[in-house]
Amino acid sequence: MSVEPVPAGTASRLGKRFRLQVALTWLVLFALLAAGCFGLHLDLGFVAQKLPYLLGIRLAPDGFIQGAALTIFVTACSMVCALAVALVTAMGRMSRNPVAFAIATFYASLFRGTPLLVQVLIIYLALPQVGIVLGALSSGLIALSLNYGAYLAETIRSGMMAVPAGQREAALALGLPRWVVTWKVSAPQALRLIIPPAGALFVSMLKDSSLVSLMGLWELNFLAQSFARSTYHYMEMLIAAALIYWALSILFELVQFRLERRFGKGVEPAARH
Amino acid sequence: MRLLLAMAACLACCTQAVAGATLDRVRRSGVLNDVVFENYPPFGFINGDNQLAGFDVDVAQAVAARLGVKLKLSTPGWETIISGRWQGRWDLCICSLSPTAERAKVLDFPVHYYSSPAVLTVHKDEQRIRSIADISGKRLGVGSGSSYENYGNKSLVIPGGRPISYPFHDVTVIPGDETIHFRNLALGPGVRLDAIVSDLATARANIKSTHALKIVGDVLYSEPNVVATEKGDPEWDATVARTINELRADGTLARISRRWFDSDITLDER
Repeated sequence: MSVEPVPAGTASRLGKRFRLQVALTWLVLFALLAAGCFGLHLDLGFVAQKLPYLLGIRLAPDGFIQGAALTIFVTACSMVCALAVALVTAMGRMSRNPVAFAIATFYASLFRGTPLLVQVLIIYLALPQVGIVLGALSSGLIALSLNYGAYLAETIRSGMMAVPAGQREAALALGLPRWVVTWKVSAPQALRLIIPPAGALFVSMLKDSSLVSLMGLWELNFLAQSFARSTYHYMEMLIAAALIYWALSILFELVQFRLERRFGKGVEPAARH
Repeated sequence: MRLLLAMAACLACCTQAVAGATLDRVRRSGVLNDVVFENYPPFGFINGDNQLAGFDVDVAQAVAARLGVKLKLSTPGWETIISGRWQGRWDLCICSLSPTAERAKVLDFPVHYYSSPAVLTVHKDEQRIRSIADISGKRLGVGSGSSYENYGNKSLVIPGGRPISYPFHDVTVIPGDETIHFRNLALGPGVRLDAIVSDLATARANIKSTHALKIVGDVLYSEPNVVATEKGDPEWDATVARTINELRADGTLARISRRWFDSDITLDER
């Protein structure tokens, strides 16, 4: 079972064996986990009965999406907004304009330095007192976007800084226009470095999206807790919710893996596994 | 500076509902925005058909029907409700709130709609605790932010209620999630908790589901449960109070109560 450095040339054959061993180990670990869960004597019929609601196949009583569907919706919207916020912040962070730099660093420091729970509650409860009454969904989206935007800005900045200055200089020396240099030379190299930590952030956001349940949104965690309390089937609902979150984050990881491969083309084989 | 003053003035105006605002809103929209807690069976929970149900939901439906408006239920978290300042998001909360002196500072309580007896629950094998007087030096689980937490800390004041006696000392009060407390208590006497003070209906439901608990001693005190509204609309408060009292007088509340508890908990005992 030793995992030694793979010599170049024999890579594909060993790669196959390596992958097989990985898959086998995963299977064994998964079987152990499943056995552990069965040891808890869960009422699987009850889980099956609540599953359509947890997954969000059925709508909530008020006609809105619920369960995992709402979780995905909240995460996807926040991802897009966080990305936009992060790009602007990263640009401010690298700007020579002192005001832009100050705003970007202040924002990043404030939102990375305070708990997400507190941010959610402040946006939902404190803003109305200055006349801005936001709905539960928009409050949640804003809080998640601002919080994760601050982290993502640092990830983007580190990726951009890691591209050697010579790359840009060489491209400019060839007479390429600035936007082509940014778009075709700097960005693809930076993205290769940004994608793995950004993917980790989005997986973490998927689970932090459960905080919007505080404001009464019927997302996955909210439903699992409510069903658990109403029926006293605590373990069933918690484990079901955990497995759904896990399945969703595996989907995220697969997307991340595809992107990593795409942007890692230039530097094979280091980025193969 | 002028901007700051303007912001401060705006803040001052916005912290209270303008008189009549809630009543106007309900009349104009024809919708009653009520808050329930979905994690407090049998008063409010999500039933097998994924619908909100329970005693509080039925009372809210009766109130909306009497007012001739549509009922819209919301389920925001406990902490977003009891801090008040709803800013017009909700019209009222028929959600088993008990009035305390601190809560009265941020919310109005126009009318009492049922009483719940507070009881002491222990593990069924518990030998040392036979009444509330035996919990000195023990660990007591209470819902965090609940009136039972105030009771454990000997600081419960029910506005307009009888004074409460506290025949215990040196109790370690552990505030937390009531459902998790009951599960902890079911692990065995003194494993994680020694006793829980809660409402009688909650205690009974947990005894039924765990088969490992029992109620000991007498009723500790009877707690009024009230309808809560945002501060500052006396006309709306009067409308809510009148509606609830009419529902009590014509037997609607008693009927709803019997549906959930086999007894009438809605009599005004004060």
